[in-house]
Amino acid sequence: MEQDGLLINKNKRKVRENITAYAFLSPWIIGFILFSGGPIIASFLLSLSKWNMISAPRFIWLGNFIEMFSAGSNFWNILKVTLIFTIFSVIATLTWSFFLAMLLNFKLKGIGIFRFFFFAPAVMPTVALAFAFQLLYNKEIGVINYILYMFGISDGPNWLMDNRLVIPSIIFVCLYTYTTGQMMLIFDASLKEVPKELYEACSIDGASYFQKFYYITLPYISPVILFNLVIATINAFNGSFSIIYPLTFGGPGDASRVISLAIYDSGFKTFRMGYASALATVLFIIVASVAWLQFKLSNKFVYYEN
Amino acid sequence: MKLKPKITISLQYLLLISVAIIMIFPILWIASSSLKSLIGISAYPPQLIPKEIHFSNYVDVFTRGNMLVYLKNTLILIIGNTFATLISSSIVAYPLARMNFVGKKFMFSLILVTMMVPATATIIPQYILFSKLRWLNSFLPLIVPACFAFPYNVFLFRQFYRTIPISIDEAALIDGCNRWDIFIKIIVPMSRPVFVIIGLLSSVFWWNELFLPLIYIDSDRLKPLMVGALTTFKTLFIQRWDLQMAMSMLMILPPIILYLFTQKYMAEGIKTTGMKG
Repeated sequence: MEQDGLLINKNKRKVRENITAYAFLSPWIIGFILFSGGPIIASFLLSLSKWNMISAPRFIWLGNFIEMFSAGSNFWNILKVTLIFTIFSVIATLTWSFFLAMLLNFKLKGIGIFRFFFFAPAVMPTVALAFAFQLLYNKEIGVINYILYMFGISDGPNWLMDNRLVIPSIIFVCLYTYTTGQMMLIFDASLKEVPKELYEACSIDGASYFQKFYYITLPYISPVILFNLVIATINAFNGSFSIIYPLTFGGPGDASRVISLAIYDSGFKTFRMGYASALATVLFIIVASVAWLQFKLSNKFVYYEN
Repeated sequence: MKLKPKITISLQYLLLISVAIIMIFPILWIASSSLKSLIGISAYPPQLIPKEIHFSNYVDVFTRGNMLVYLKNTLILIIGNTFATLISSSIVAYPLARMNFVGKKFMFSLILVTMMVPATATIIPQYILFSKLRWLNSFLPLIVPACFAFPYNVFLFRQFYRTIPISIDEAALIDGCNRWDIFIKIIVPMSRPVFVIIGLLSSVFWWNELFLPLIYIDSDRLKPLMVGALTTFKTLFIQRWDLQMAMSMLMILPPIILYLFTQKYMAEGIKTTGMKG
């Protein structure tokens, strides 16, 4: 009898603990339903409709997707620009942040000052960064063309107005954004965690700087590289708007119109809510598959200590 | 340890200094251009140190644009969002770090996954929701979501709570405290550093944020600084570089000064999201 009572008490306590836990979680659960989970499902449904927010929405099955994938649509260009921008900005920001972190691991006095300078651009607003680069990239009065002139190239290009140069120019600006700074700090911290003994053992065996880098540093921090790869990719999809919009507004023409700008245009410039949702659905599928792919790859290539 | 030769040290410093110049050049250029006249900006060759100093640009930014209105709106967004997210996220993180319940792993993974969903992928239904509520062109769609916890901040709080010994909660439970008492009276006071970190990061984020206010705010008197700056001093035909650079300088100074004085805290917060979960 007494034991049964204890057991009931214990179960009661467990139930109460569960209720308490979910009570604490409830703000986020409501927020998830209203602001992320719900909207994702709503986006799928809206993508099957035609709606300008004035007349009633009309159900058109896959009409938006058929329009999107048709030969004359600018979707293929948007997809191409998005993929090129994503791939190369990820490579550039990942490499640059790693390089900065390596520099910060020099055993020198005053390295903290350099850490401040390297990270400072990361906290500045992308709008101000965009203004600065509009001036720096300017064909007539920009410093970049002046530097080219000093090296003997007198007719510098119009960086942000050239179809072929605009994407590389934007990617260069990405080296100054928050994500790059964040990855630099993460790399910096992880490089300091590589056990010194490993390097010393290698030095005794006569390994060169590059051998040490390849056989010790890279394998040891490979989980961090993967983590930063995920951050960089997500951000190339997510944060690209706040740098590309103030810098080029997607121009010249559609040359820098990535998918997040296209969603903004169809949704809030022309109020084609259905078509914008169809684009958002495509973006969601791309991000989900990239994330899945990266985690699959991680099992193959990343070295974990345990 | 053997001593490094002087030549290596000099080369390393040289490399560090060159990279530092590349990294802060945009800031230097904004600072220098903000003190030039429009003619000074287009002078050839470009001058890093202006020949004539025009402080008047800064006066013009305040008198000719809506700078003060934009600034006020940005401050409202910062204060509203920061308070709301600190309260909601600190509560949501508590059971994830310090309690055992059914579905804990699932809830935590779901929070991590939502961190990866791009804002642009969910913006259309959110916009429709807020338009149905008649909240468009107000601060509500920008501040109310913060009351429901942001995954990124929940994660930071959780990481910090996990460093506090779990035996504290257990002892308090035996003494008859309930979970809410433990959270308010023990965990919150012990977690002051993480409140400061998230407060700082949230302030910088909302100072810089462009996308959401661009979508939800229409009228000029409600625009925050970043949205207002897009159209001030720039018309179809003329770009007032001098005034735009002075405005940019005012836009970059607050976050950089904040970072300068709270470097340790902010770097810690930014890094934590990168450390093992």
